Parts: sequence; structure tokens; C-alpha cells
Amino acid sequence: MSTGSFTAPAGTIGPVVHPDTGLEQDLARLIVASLSLETTAEEIVPEAPLFGEGLGLDSIDALELSLAIAKAYGVQLRSDDERNHRIFASLRSLAGHIAQHRAR
Amino acid sequence: MPVEGLAADTPGLALTTRDAAEIICHRAGGPVSVGRFLAEAAALAAALPADGHALNLCADRYAALLGFAAALLRGHPTLLGARSGGGFLAMAAARYPGAYLLADEPGAAAPLPVFRVDAPRALRPAAAPPPIPAERVVAIGFTSGSTGTPTAHAKPWGALVAAAAAAAARFGLRPGDGPPTSIVATVPPQHMYGFETTMMLPLRAAVAIHAGASFYPSEVQEALAAVPPRRLLITTPLHLRVLLADGRRPPALSAVISATAPLAPEMAMAVERDWAAPMLEIYGATEAGSVASRRTAREEGWLPYAGTTVRDGVAEVPGLGAVPLADAVEPLADGRFRLLGRLADVVKLGGKRASLAELNRVLAGVPGVEDGVFLAPGDMENNPAARLSALVVAPGRTAAQIMDGLRGLIDPAFLPRRLAMVAALPRDSVGKLPRQALAGLLPGAEEA
Repeated sequence: MSTGSFTAPAGTIGPVVHPDTGLEQDLARLIVASLSLETTAEEIVPEAPLFGEGLGLDSIDALELSLAIAKAYGVQLRSDDERNHRIFASLRSLAGHIAQHRAR
Repeated sequence: MPVEGLAADTPGLALTTRDAAEIICHRAGGPVSVGRFLAEAAALAAALPADGHALNLCADRYAALLGFAAALLRGHPTLLGARSGGGFLAMAAARYPGAYLLADEPGAAAPLPVFRVDAPRALRPAAAPPPIPAERVVAIGFTSGSTGTPTAHAKPWGALVAAAAAAAARFGLRPGDGPPTSIVATVPPQHMYGFETTMMLPLRAAVAIHAGASFYPSEVQEALAAVPPRRLLITTPLHLRVLLADGRRPPALSAVISATAPLAPEMAMAVERDWAAPMLEIYGATEAGSVASRRTAREEGWLPYAGTTVRDGVAEVPGLGAVPLADAVEPLADGRFRLLGRLADVVKLGGKRASLAELNRVLAGVPGVEDGVFLAPGDMENNPAARLSALVVAPGRTAAQIMDGLRGLIDPAFLPRRLAMVAALPRDSVGKLPRQALAGLLPGAEEA
């Protein structure tokens, strides 16, 4: 996928002091449903990587997930975010990003 | 050795035919002229080793183009596919002497020397680069092949230039065809389709590429808004599905082009209706490059590129000669052709012939089916008892329900003997299904 400097970098993600476990569970269910994963939402470890090892998602999943997250939370994912490896690092970091930017 | 399809005494062909003042790229900092680009490419070329093969990892399209041009000026072929993972780098390191990486961001420790394309370098007024011999191999594409070892497909400069000229003529991208075109692409420049459209076209047609991120729907929208018309979106069925579902109407487009997998006519019609733009589709392959196009909502027949002829199993491509195709084709009266499905996918059972591609289309139309693929056993040709299997993604449905859906739609001979429900098919980054991955899902069966 293409990343670059054309678009302004997204804001730095602040440390998530108190994980929103309710949001994390909702998001885990969204991931399992939108990507038709065999795993259950409860089996996703909040701190484990979503891509590569861990859940093993790839760029096609990322595109699919971006659509589901935009529809559910009104948050648009960006390559800049992913490039920083912060947001997609884990379920917890993704939930933290959504909590910070969600419109609904 | 002369290149087939080109005259033996063909003189060298310039890196670019464009004027120094024309715009070749739209970057965050503003447009980049051809003159500036050539100066930067010459400076990078001077920093590269004397001999070698380039693996271009650059994500930014301007950096990728600079890297390709610099390697070309230095006489090095670029190996396409470098972003597909560590296995590719290891293969290149073992097989290609002097292999090195061109990168535009820091990466993990690599087994090869790394050159940063974006490092600051002193620019001197560059003399016009010397013409490049048409027969020189400047890029090498790779297909995964049935054995799992990548097969190399050499791309002579003359063939790439001829293909770019044919595409420019087909899509109205020549200098006299109107205002310059801005290309926004969702495909990586390291894939053959992305290479032809975002590396070759800016060099040889009146085209400027958008350099920045254009992967997620918001990025595609912003990229299109950031470039001047005429805007051309280069994409795939996977991306089109997400962009249409996203629902936002993009800025005015002169056309949308899709390739890498068949585009459903309904999706083509949705683009034409919702985005008010011609939805064009390219037919091609890593081996032959792009060879034909059509306007999917209006035409079934594919019109070959100028100079290219397509017949059953073979494309005659300028600069490449006869290249085997994976698809059976039927010539049409108007010089076009119809695709009948992949040659390797044609299966014969009980004296009946069917195309696995056609069976897959029927399967996809069964209610509840999100994805699915028919598999033929390896001994299909000589085992009269051999039957097909299928892998199906249909959440909430049972195998029996899917079988019920298939009955009556296909000849009973081709009904899958084994039908396994799976969570997802192991599609790769452009939506294709690697044979090995499929075989692993259904022990005892493999794709024909």
C-alpha cells in the first residue's frame, strides 16, 4: 500500500491510561464479524498484535476493517497511522484511537 | 539479440519524451517538473554501485519512480515484487548478483545493502540521459508458479515503452489528447499493473502521478481532491467495492481503470452511475503486461492494444513476441475477444467440459455465499473417478444449504463431492488465490 508525505500526519496518539474494555469488546466483535474470523471476539488478546503474528491480518483485512470502523464509529483510518505502527499494533491501541476520534 | 516484434536496428529509446517543464508528479510540497525529476534521478544513479539489481521498496510513488529511473540510468534491472515480503528478498539475494534495496524510510535490518532514495544530494544540471537500448531488460516481473518458486519474466525497455504508448493511445493520455492527466492509484508500483500505470506512464505519457498515501477510502478521496483534473483512478475490484460501500462521491473523474481480477458488471454500472465516469477494465498478466481493455458496463468484448494480437492461449506483444496466456479466448467479429476462463481451469468430467472460473461465478451467486472456489484434484486428467471439491465462505449457512443452492444451476457432474465451509479464502494482496495455500485448506485436493 502507498504511504507518503502528501497528507498531513495524523496527531500523535496519547497514552491510553484507562483502557475502555467495553469498547474493546465491541471492536473485537466488529473485527471478527467484518473479517469472518474463525476466532471468537473473547479470544482476541487486547495487547496482542493484530497484523503479522498475533491475529495475522493483512492489507486486504485492513481495507475491509477501515470500512467497518468508519460505518460503526465514524472514524477514518489512514496509512500515516498505520505507518506509525501505533494504531494497528493491538486491539487496545485501535480501540484507544477510535475512542479519541469517534464521532458517534 | 534483437527483440521480437521490434526492428533489429531500433535505436535506443529515451527515458522520457516529455519536456523539462511538464509536471511528472504531485507531491505534498507541490508539483515536480520533469527537469527536476531527471536531475534527482541522475544524482541518485551516481550514488548507486556499478553493477547490480534493484529491489525497489519505496512506498511513496515519487521515490519509487526516482529509484526505478536511477537504476535504469545505471544499467540495473528493477526486480518487481520487492514489497511482497522477506521471502522475496532472500530469493533475490540468492539469485541476483549485486542485489540492493532502494528505500524511502528506515526499515528493519535487511540482508542486502540499502540506498535511501530520499537522502539529500547535490543536484547539477543534468545532460539529457542517453537513449536506452530497446532490448535491454530493465525490469523483471515474477509469478508464483505452481511449484512455489517464483518464475522470472524479463521486461525489455522497448516492450515497456511500446505498452505505455499503446495504453496512452487507448486512454487518451498522449500530449495532443487534452490537458495532462493526474493519476491516483491504489495499487503498489511494485506490482506489474501498478508498475505500468504509475512508473511507465509518467515517463512516456502526459501524466502526473500522485505521490502520497492512497490506500484507505479517505486517502483516495483526499488524493483525488489534491490533484488537478483530468483525474484518472487506477484501482482494483477489491478497492472499488470498499470505495462504493464507503458511499462518498469522489471529485470529478475522467475515468476509472480496474485490473487484477474480473470486475462484476454490476460494480462497473454502479461506478458509471454514482461517479459519472467511464469504468474501464484492463486485461493483462505479469507475463504479457496489459494487452487489452473494455468498458465493462457496455461491452463484453476486449479490444487488444494497438500492435497486440490475442488468440487462444497466446498474446503477440510488441517487444515480447508470443506470450502464453492463462485464459481461453474466443475471437469476435469486430477484432475484439471474449474471455472464456482460465485455460488451467478448464475441467473435463464424464465427457463434459466446464470452466472452474464459470463454476466459481455460479457459486458466488448462491444466496449467502461471500466467497468460494472450486478445486480440481491433481489427478483429474487420468482418474475417471475424480470429482471436484469446493471451499466456501458463507457465514451462517451449512454445506447442505450451499449444495441445495448449486443443484440445478450446474451440471450434476460438476457438483462438489466435498464442500468445506471456511471462514475466509487465503487471497493475496491483489485478491488472487495461491495454489499452495488452497491445497492446505483441503487436504488431498489441489487446484488444477
